[in-house]
Amino acid sequence: MSLIDVKKAFFSYGNRTVLENIDLRVNKGEILCLFGPNGCGKTTLIQCLLGILKPSCGSIRLRGRDIRSMKPVEIARELAYIPQVHEKPFPYRVIDVVLMGRVSYTGLFSLPKKQDVRIAEEALDKVGMLAFKDRPYTQISGGETQLVMVARALTQQTPVLVMDEPTAHLDFRNELNFLETIVNLVKDTKITVVMATHFPNHAFYFENSGIRSGVAMMNDSMFYARGRPGEVLTEHNMYSIFKIKSKLVSHEWEGGRIRQILPLKTYGQHS
Amino acid sequence: MRKKLTAAGFVAAPFALIFFSLFIGRYPLSINEVISVLGAKSGFSGFAPLPIQVNVVWDIRLPRAILGAFVGGSLAVSGAAFQGIFRNPLVSSGVLGVSAGAGFGASLAIILFGGDTFYVYAFAFLFGIVAVILSYVIGTNYTSTPTIMLVLGGVVVSSIFSSLVSLLKYIADPYEQLPSIVFWLMGSMASARFRDIAISAVPMWVGITGLVAMRWRLNILSMDDREAQALGVNIAFVKGLAILFATLATAGAVCVSGVIGWVGLVVPHMGRMLVGNDNTVLVPVSLSIGAGYLILVDNVARTLTGSEIPLGILTSIIGAPFFVYLLKKTKGRGW
Repeated sequence: MSLIDVKKAFFSYGNRTVLENIDLRVNKGEILCLFGPNGCGKTTLIQCLLGILKPSCGSIRLRGRDIRSMKPVEIARELAYIPQVHEKPFPYRVIDVVLMGRVSYTGLFSLPKKQDVRIAEEALDKVGMLAFKDRPYTQISGGETQLVMVARALTQQTPVLVMDEPTAHLDFRNELNFLETIVNLVKDTKITVVMATHFPNHAFYFENSGIRSGVAMMNDSMFYARGRPGEVLTEHNMYSIFKIKSKLVSHEWEGGRIRQILPLKTYGQHS
Repeated sequence: MRKKLTAAGFVAAPFALIFFSLFIGRYPLSINEVISVLGAKSGFSGFAPLPIQVNVVWDIRLPRAILGAFVGGSLAVSGAAFQGIFRNPLVSSGVLGVSAGAGFGASLAIILFGGDTFYVYAFAFLFGIVAVILSYVIGTNYTSTPTIMLVLGGVVVSSIFSSLVSLLKYIADPYEQLPSIVFWLMGSMASARFRDIAISAVPMWVGITGLVAMRWRLNILSMDDREAQALGVNIAFVKGLAILFATLATAGAVCVSGVIGWVGLVVPHMGRMLVGNDNTVLVPVSLSIGAGYLILVDNVARTLTGSEIPLGILTSIIGAPFFVYLLKKTKGRGW
């Protein structure tokens, strides 16, 4: 049984169709990159998976259960969400933020217990942020904040992490550090990842790290191509979707062979 | 250990201040006399206080102090809750129009029924609730209640009721009704008797208890709506419940005490500076500071001059220096 099974899903904001006939299956232990230009429907699809938006027709099943019959608290035990940017309303301590991931296991009038604190500390340790636990999280960097978001998601103890362009605001090192953290998590815990991204090289990075990786390339509300990164992220497909000239290169180093796609130049008007 | 001592201190402080208030005032009382009144009233034999001592302690000072604790605690806790719900440290307990609505209700009752306290309480409470319902309806669209829309709804409703209060002031009898309205709007607990506490304490108690019980959820409500839902919270229900409790507490407070500013905005910030922003700690601490603070201010209000000084005037004058001191000392703690 697939962890996520989307069948013929449609979604529209008023007259504007944003998702059209989406079919998607995500299996255990894989990383699926949702890749495509701005406005292609990635974020909408993610919000449908999380039950925040409801598809107008078609079905979404999480481990076999129809999402329409699930409460937020039940969905939160299947999928944990890592946003693109996290707005910080108050200078909470890092540990308080991570503890929030335990809310789906805690009653409306209850407080987190000792065990929840332990789970939160373990999660912080897994992403290498335990030393920051008592710091106000308004005083940590953007890269550190995203790791805290990962830790918060881990405390939900879900089979799947869903991320919406999690590295969009990170610098070079923090981006790489974030990807390394995710790779280690997948290898250690067999957690499954769905990640929307603007960077084709993220998918190559995961593939090169030896994780079963897939790419779903979206364009104009639909899937344009599906498959392994090497099959989907081709010079031809990059041209079709972005109208750019690109070059697939390969580099050998002591860590293995790494493939990357280099953007070279744009053609004409972007449609 | 140190944490437990601090916690005990926050719990004990309001009770100590209530006791301390029994000695404050024009009529001097010794500790033995106060104990003799409390003993006699608690049903123990062997105490024989003078009737005037009973009157001063039991009918005037004690109810005022208890009511002050309730009102201050309600305003502070609901202020902290609203700041969390709206992800906005600048909102206060009156954000959804409850104070403006209550002000209108009280003014209307003063004009229609000549200031009979029962009608003033009832009208203030009802219109406070009506104002919040209006704000909520305005701020809700077909799927959700975005915080900005709710705050805007509160602003619109507050300004409507403020205008209506001005209208009532304009048509009120300038010798009898107008002064009553003006004094009510400045806030006072001079009329506090046990009967008043018994009526208004019910909504305040329900509101405070509810918010204290669900205080951890306030942390989650302060997250972006999508994030909070993805964490597993039914936003519409939990947000609505928190608003309901905060509204009951505020409306219960405002209807007996009139409009008292500052407490519902600044006391939570004093708490934030002292113990941080985690609502599991902040909410109980705000309760304690708010309760203690209003008891203190009310003592000043009734003793500083021969006649009463309205509370609304004193809350900020006394609180501001302390707030500035805290701000300098803690450097705002992470903001």
